[in-house]
Amino acid sequence: MSPLVIAFLVLALLTCGSALAMLWTKNLLHAALAMFLTMLGLAGLYVLAYADVLAVAHVLVYVGGVLILILFGIMLTNQTDPATGKNHLMTRESNRLLPISVGLSFFLGLFWVFTKGPWINNLPVTGGSKLREVGLGLLTEYAFPFELAGIFLLIALIGATFVAKNHD
Amino acid sequence: MTDIPVIYFLWVSAFLFATGLAILLLKKNTIFVLMGIELILNAANLNLVAFSKNEPSLQGLYLSIFVLVVGVCEMAIALAIVLQVYRNYRAIEVDQFKSEY
Repeated sequence: MSPLVIAFLVLALLTCGSALAMLWTKNLLHAALAMFLTMLGLAGLYVLAYADVLAVAHVLVYVGGVLILILFGIMLTNQTDPATGKNHLMTRESNRLLPISVGLSFFLGLFWVFTKGPWINNLPVTGGSKLREVGLGLLTEYAFPFELAGIFLLIALIGATFVAKNHD
Repeated sequence: MTDIPVIYFLWVSAFLFATGLAILLLKKNTIFVLMGIELILNAANLNLVAFSKNEPSLQGLYLSIFVLVVGVCEMAIALAIVLQVYRNYRAIEVDQFKSEY
């Protein structure tokens, strides 16, 4: 096995393991921390797929932005247990059998489709950083959607602050 | 230097999708459900990146950057809505949102 494949296996194990931990735990804060590990593993997988620009953006956005938002959401919606006066951030679940069997059957179905699929596996290797190509493309060919994404982000953030403010 | 086959990425993304779906169906806390949606979005993103790995025009990579932006917007708006719903109902779990009328 080449060192690249070993690195892939470690990162895939980190990603899948912490996703399973998210599924398993009932504690909301533990799930947020497991999501942090999942996002770090995914960024590593993006690097191995030669998408280093996306990996850096992913770490910045998810670990720096979305995770902080989720932690604020957890803090602002916490409920203390009236009996003990403590808050263990435990969440309720529905019956475990049905969701896990649905997830497992989706995984097996997708696994079967992906394994049977006629993917072309012997494409020429065009490894290395794509930073220059992506930067050029975002400012020339994809300039309009790029600007549109910026305006969309602005609208969404202003809208989020408006929705979240106290309307009394 | 050998390349990692596309199929490995597809397997990981299938696993992430299935886990996100199971979280979506299993958990009752709204923030937990949103985290499941994030996992599903990222599974789709990993597929896009894997398919544009050896493709010279990099279209999947561009699309995945825009998916990232839209995912962040969705998360910000959704958490704002969750906050407002919590203010109105004093509840955060999806089966407790009941109208009083």
